[in-house]
Amino acid sequence: MDLLDLIDAVQSVADGVLFGATYALLGIGFTLIFGVMHKINLSYAAASVGAAYASLLVMSVVQAPAVLVFVAAAVAGGVIGGLVYLVGFKFIPLANPLATLMSTVGLLLLIDEIIVHTTAGVPLNYPALFSDVIIEVGPFGLRGDLMFVFALGCACMTLLLLLLYRTRLGLATRAVSQQPTASLLCGISTTRVNVLTFVITGVVGGIAGAMTGAAIGMLSPLLSLPLTVKGLIVTVIGGLGSIPGAIIAGLIVGGLENAFQFFRGVSERDLYIMLLLFAFLVFRPGGIFAKSSGRD
Amino acid sequence: MRRLHAALAVLLAGSMLSLPGSALAQERTVKITGFGAKSGVVRVFGINSEAAMKAAADQINKTGGVTLGDGTKAKFTVEFLDDRCNAEEGISVVRRIASTDAFVAVGPTCSNVAESLFGILQKKVGDASDSGLQFPIIADVAAKGGLAKISEWAFRNVPSEFEMYKSLIAWIRKEHPNLKTMYGGVEKDFAHSNATYGVMKGQAEGAGLKVLGTSEWLLNDTTFSTQVRDMKRANADIVAISAHPFTTCGVLKEMARQGVKPKLLIGLTSSSSVETLQGCAKQAEGIIIPTSFAPVTPEAKLAAEQVAKFGGSADLHSAAAYEIMFILKDVIESQKIMAKPDTVKADRNKMRAGLAALKETKGLLGKVGRTADREAIKPYLYVHAKDGSWQVLYKPTL
Repeated sequence: MDLLDLIDAVQSVADGVLFGATYALLGIGFTLIFGVMHKINLSYAAASVGAAYASLLVMSVVQAPAVLVFVAAAVAGGVIGGLVYLVGFKFIPLANPLATLMSTVGLLLLIDEIIVHTTAGVPLNYPALFSDVIIEVGPFGLRGDLMFVFALGCACMTLLLLLLYRTRLGLATRAVSQQPTASLLCGISTTRVNVLTFVITGVVGGIAGAMTGAAIGMLSPLLSLPLTVKGLIVTVIGGLGSIPGAIIAGLIVGGLENAFQFFRGVSERDLYIMLLLFAFLVFRPGGIFAKSSGRD
Repeated sequence: MRRLHAALAVLLAGSMLSLPGSALAQERTVKITGFGAKSGVVRVFGINSEAAMKAAADQINKTGGVTLGDGTKAKFTVEFLDDRCNAEEGISVVRRIASTDAFVAVGPTCSNVAESLFGILQKKVGDASDSGLQFPIIADVAAKGGLAKISEWAFRNVPSEFEMYKSLIAWIRKEHPNLKTMYGGVEKDFAHSNATYGVMKGQAEGAGLKVLGTSEWLLNDTTFSTQVRDMKRANADIVAISAHPFTTCGVLKEMARQGVKPKLLIGLTSSSSVETLQGCAKQAEGIIIPTSFAPVTPEAKLAAEQVAKFGGSADLHSAAAYEIMFILKDVIESQKIMAKPDTVKADRNKMRAGLAALKETKGLLGKVGRTADREAIKPYLYVHAKDGSWQVLYKPTL
């Protein structure tokens, strides 16, 4: 490997880590819902992409600045999150894990098809902030739009952590997550906490969808499936229910994805990511921050 | 009582007269079934094909319809079924069509569907040992090279990408002799993109261009920075991208970010569409793509207008569907197809024989040749993205 290769390798990993902020946000959404309800919401990434699409409606109505599109994506994400709870969880027997799992698979396909039928599957241009900015650091160049995506992702994560650990709602959420029956006895409305969890994760998902659209510069229904897979991988590697784990895992997966792409090519890239997933499932099933005694 | 009898008599007479009268007046219809992707990310192809078939049927019906074997006139109706760009569903859809009195089907969208679907058809006509489906299918979109060879019941009206890229590369060599090197980019997991990149690369090497390397990505990839960095390092004169609009735009945007500015850009046929312009008109500026459709003749202009009226967009794929309807009309008339439930088997044989016998058909850009292996030799031209629209750059065969 010559110097140029090394520079390119480092640059690829840096780009991947920055883009990994979107994976981290998706991972947080998956993990938060799992933490509170002990259910996997497979429609989460599709809903995030749906929210990003919905935010484009703002652009079609008014010539809004890109920032407003991000805000619209967050709002749309919250609304879709609430709807997902209503359709996929509220009336489904929660005691049956397969029922909610299948209802979210159905919702994933439903949201995807709604997007496809609304847009005919045509990829749409998505606005990006600071897309023409490149920050030169020696031989490396950091993309302004990815830096923004990364910074936004970090801000969202910080806000989410503050919400969870510094507010009454966060306290209630953590209580329901740890002891739902005891929370109920303490007067906490688990339904309210569940709905709010879906709305909040929806907002985060909407921002993640918008960040993805901004980072690629495009939106396509094609994004739902890979983002679902990446979000789940991040959730498992980070540890189901662990927000710090999801953040770190998202950045790691983003960086490794580009590293494998650089060293092994596109045909092997996903193979190694999957091997990483299996390695975690076997050797560290509780995720990055789990105690090593987590395995039988 | 007498009045009642009289009224009944009038009613009875009226009904006796009206029955055969209405039967005679009832117009005969011939339903042509199309199939392709109408859901999933390639839904737009199905929408366009359906609109093109309906637009062509409307044009034919306005001029009197189609003359059947017994001399009666019939109007075309069009039905379009969704195969979701999935091979199993494509086969299921065609088996369903073949179980009706349809004598031909038009489709599919995706090459992977066509490849599997043509495989269930009888290979050689008249081979009693082959129990394959004996049902003629003519493809409008599935573009991977050489697919009609699979069965004698399979036909295509798609352009030859081999010929188009051979001609384009030769033209580039002639017009831009200073361009010596090429770098490729390919959407590796899409049959059409992958096959066409093989054609682009082969033609470039054959024409004396040095291919410096190839970047690969997948249809639903979200980052292209590593691939484009390789492209940047190669610093080739020409960059050829064999990918569909979503990743073509993703790569073009990444190229713009990294400042990759080749002297010439070549794209995949399927990307010469409105989707590319909707996604990345600015970054696609200047990309050259060979295509078998552009509204440059009166017929093509009319077709584009009509297809738009039916909610679609005319491009090289849907224009093929439009042309197919006129081909079917000609074959029905020349082969004296009856289009009756009791003549289905004979009609299918006649349709196959009629399509196989074609040496030339009328296309929207001019005459379309037919090869012995049931493929089309279509006229084509080169378009380039300019000021947010596709404009004709050069017309090699018009």
